[in-house]
Amino acid sequence: MGYRWHTGSVAWILHRLSGVALTFYLVLHIWVIHHIGQGPEAFNAIMAKVQTPLFKFLELGLLGTVLYHSFNGFRILLFDFGIGIRQQKQIFWGTVVVGLLVFAVSGYGMLSHILH
Amino acid sequence: MKYTFKVYRFNPETDDAPRYQTYEVDCEEGWTVLDALNYIKWYLDGSVSYRRSCRHEICGSCAVMMNGKNGLLCNTQVKDLGSKTITIEPLKGFPVLKDLIVDMDLFIERLKAVNPFFESSEPPTDREYYQSPEDRAIIDDAVNCILCGSCTGSCPSFWYNPDYLGPAALFKAFRFVYDSRDTAAAERLELVDDHNGLWRCHTIFNCMECCPKNLNITEGIQYLKRLAFMRKI
Repeated sequence: MGYRWHTGSVAWILHRLSGVALTFYLVLHIWVIHHIGQGPEAFNAIMAKVQTPLFKFLELGLLGTVLYHSFNGFRILLFDFGIGIRQQKQIFWGTVVVGLLVFAVSGYGMLSHILH
Repeated sequence: MKYTFKVYRFNPETDDAPRYQTYEVDCEEGWTVLDALNYIKWYLDGSVSYRRSCRHEICGSCAVMMNGKNGLLCNTQVKDLGSKTITIEPLKGFPVLKDLIVDMDLFIERLKAVNPFFESSEPPTDREYYQSPEDRAIIDDAVNCILCGSCTGSCPSFWYNPDYLGPAALFKAFRFVYDSRDTAAAERLELVDDHNGLWRCHTIFNCMECCPKNLNITEGIQYLKRLAFMRKI
């Protein structure tokens, strides 16, 4: 943007990008689920496709995106209540640390499921 | 110590496109960027144009972008910028009149839109309007704004939509809405409770990051948002 990035603007642009990504995911999700209306064979066929290793790894990305968007969403909610505005950077890094911990724990579970 | 200054040069009347001109300046200990620019203008190139007046961070004339971040020329020390090459550019989001001078009309228009003056329906007396120290403390930050435009010129929401009132105007609205003596809070809130007002602030914090007076701008805007929200439920 021709202007120096800092914690607040990085948090904002990532929130936007993750929001757009989640919107695309939602469309994909509804498209996959809508196959259920076309009978068990159609649904099983599409489910087989989205259970390939590629999609399993993409699910890890989805987990990360959801975690970032929700934790940063909580950060923004705090600001709406007038809390922690001077501490926005510390709160950002706090949410990143907590988010990474949750990602590590959940991601480990998902990964071991994929590898088995 | 020698520094290289890359200065944004543009004269809309004669130039097709902006360019950057480089000057080498041997800066003395304690020089501000304004000192260096003055040196350039007085001894190297008299055609470089920029605004400055008080050099005491109170007039708000000399806001520019230095190494990609807004601030005042007069309270930014050269050595604090942390690089040997210093790029000086005009505030983003405003039309450039010449070099580092931007047209601030838009900024003043947005400011006027929030009725930036004290209003009271109480009849004047022979005494001052009393305000307790506690009430005054709420608006301490907002009163200290010098209207330099650093914040509004740093706001991505303003760059992409100049109809947005911008942080400076909204902070001014906060200053009067939360002034215990002012009685026009409801009208003023009405003026800023708009998609081009309060609700275009996305808490990006560029404004607070660059404010030369280190003011709590976003908090003021968030308080106004809350008030605007509460009066509707």
